[in-house]
Amino acid sequence: MAKVAREMVERAGVDVDTLVELLIKNAAAELTTYYYYTILRVNLIGLQGESLKEIAEVARIEDRNHFEALVPRIYELGGKLPQDMVEFHNLSACPPARLPEDPSDVMAILRVLVEAERCAVRGYTHICNLTAGKDHRTYDLALAILNEEIEHESWFSEFLGEGPSGHFMRRGETSPFVSKFLR
Amino acid sequence: MREFTLRELVRFNGQDGRPAYVAYQGKVYDLTGSFLWRGGRHQVLHRAGQDLTRTLGQAPHGPELLEKFPVVGTLKGGEDAEDDRGEP
Repeated sequence: MAKVAREMVERAGVDVDTLVELLIKNAAAELTTYYYYTILRVNLIGLQGESLKEIAEVARIEDRNHFEALVPRIYELGGKLPQDMVEFHNLSACPPARLPEDPSDVMAILRVLVEAERCAVRGYTHICNLTAGKDHRTYDLALAILNEEIEHESWFSEFLGEGPSGHFMRRGETSPFVSKFLR
Repeated sequence: MREFTLRELVRFNGQDGRPAYVAYQGKVYDLTGSFLWRGGRHQVLHRAGQDLTRTLGQAPHGPELLEKFPVVGTLKGGEDAEDDRGEP
């Protein structure tokens, strides 16, 4: 634990135990999403599915990066991950992004993907709101993740025909916002 | 449709097998089936069995997410009932 770092956050008026619980739940959401997206990506086949596969893969890898980036902050603030993987899965901040009943229904997969991203966008907005001006390091991290989650949502939303977002696919490395926390 | 008082609503806190109900603008919603309200808790900070009319304004989403769930009654006191202060 980073004792003084935690004290600074407490003194700024943040309930650190609540914050840590939220970070753990969101870390669980990231790692479980990474797992479920693996299955979704595998099933994105055919003319429609293949066109989605690459952005689903980028979102999958970036969600894993988010998990990796969250873990040090959880421990800095005095938290820890559960020993039991099943417990970790079940406390996720977002519902499991399960493969739809009909795996060949690409639109149904797309709806699962966009709902997962929307849950994440809400979750990190919530953490940003709780930490803004109080816990600079968690805010910086949550904002970086939020930036990537918003882009994921935009990609999938465009495929659903909900309107343009102005975003492109990644060109080059993944996690342009979060990579500074992974070095 | 059943009319709940705040005192009655508190019992539907989603714990120990009880349903998870919340009120919003005078309507009582059953969130028992929501993954995000398991155990009667939502995003660590919020509890079932309460009126979230004021709290929802600070949430990173609007009432449209509540509207996916069944309405099981109304809250006595109308649309401007209490916020979610006070633990069940």
